[in-house]
Amino acid sequence: MRISEVYFPETIAETLELLHANPELQLMAGGTEIVGTQPTRSIALERQVASIVKIKELRKTVRTEQFLELGSCTTLTGLRSLASGTLPEPLYEVIGGIANHGIRNTATIGGNLCCKTRFMDLWPVLACLDAQIELRSMAGTRWAGVSHLCGDDGTPRFPPATLMSRIRIPLFTYNFIFVRSMGGNALPGPDTATFACMANLGRDKIEDFRLIFSGTKAFRLKEHEMSIDGKRHGLKGRELQSMVDFYTEAFASQDWYDQRLFASLAQEAFERLCS
Amino acid sequence: MIIDFNVNGEMKHLQVRSGDRLVDVLRDRLSIESLLPDCLSGRCGRCFIFLDGRLVHSCLLPAFKAKGTRIVTFEGIAGSPEVAEIEEALRQAGALPCPFCRTAKIMAIVDLLDRHPLPDEAVALEQLDMVSCACTDPASLVKAVGLAADARSRRKFNRANQ
Repeated sequence: MRISEVYFPETIAETLELLHANPELQLMAGGTEIVGTQPTRSIALERQVASIVKIKELRKTVRTEQFLELGSCTTLTGLRSLASGTLPEPLYEVIGGIANHGIRNTATIGGNLCCKTRFMDLWPVLACLDAQIELRSMAGTRWAGVSHLCGDDGTPRFPPATLMSRIRIPLFTYNFIFVRSMGGNALPGPDTATFACMANLGRDKIEDFRLIFSGTKAFRLKEHEMSIDGKRHGLKGRELQSMVDFYTEAFASQDWYDQRLFASLAQEAFERLCS
Repeated sequence: MIIDFNVNGEMKHLQVRSGDRLVDVLRDRLSIESLLPDCLSGRCGRCFIFLDGRLVHSCLLPAFKAKGTRIVTFEGIAGSPEVAEIEEALRQAGALPCPFCRTAKIMAIVDLLDRHPLPDEAVALEQLDMVSCACTDPASLVKAVGLAADARSRRKFNRANQ
């Protein structure tokens, strides 16, 4: 068993110094994904690990009229227990479907977003909501869209020697929300994935359309989303089917998840959108 | 590394390795026998502890995460009126759990009633779903939760009126 060196930084500044000195440093908040995906009695960790969950700056919640700003070490239980109406509805629903209460007591929003091997349940919903993340390193602080956590090849990416300190979630709401989580285990497995489709239905038009499907990879047709904006939402028959077929055919080239399941989700989402 | 933490009201000072799971340290080093590292994935509930008041799976935590925390295991609450009420409610509802999951189900109900003094059926079922053992039927367990909630609120009412 490899013995790792474990640090307990008390501030963000201390964490950044550690990251600067050791770019390979493994940051651990709740640790449920890192530990839970290892079936062995002894846990394998990187050579150097920093437990950041007790850093107070990373547990703050701020709410303004426009957005909700969460420290990245806010637990999923803490997030879900925010006063009713504070959390955007799709986020509240998705968190309730993640694992179980015991795991949500430990798992954090930052850990959920920073998983190196897959996209967990919150990422597609936060990407649909145009959430932003604050990334900090010794070089400085910057804000980026949550979509920034997806590489060009559709796999997760995270800048090296960087700490995600805050997540800013706009508080506007969509009036069409269709989110489905797949996979039955408490912790993510090969069949775990999330389908999220949101839009604003104006008097007769679809606006701000988004459709994201993610698991080990992420699938989103950002440019095609813009072509759906402005379409009538009472579409039927061939026009409706052509939108479903476009997504189904584009997803078929991805080859990383059950094509039929995606096709039936897309069909249901578009039928509801246009009904 | 050496970590200090409080277990069931006693301070502990232990040397742990970075790869140790908390459940193993508590069971093997501190002889807390209600805990069992079984599924190692947060499904069976046999490793439930209260960590700083929150119900968590100790199999999903590295031992070093216990540094500076306050841990309560089933042994720490076993003699409490809350547990006595739950055990009586389980007996009355005919929902006696098997020896494998008994402590896990009681810990889950204690946590549930701490957060929701009068939980509805959906909330109770969601909480009990954390313990995957199917030895007891869910309807009887929900009935037991209701009986335990009544007993707890009666006790609190009586205490307030004394």
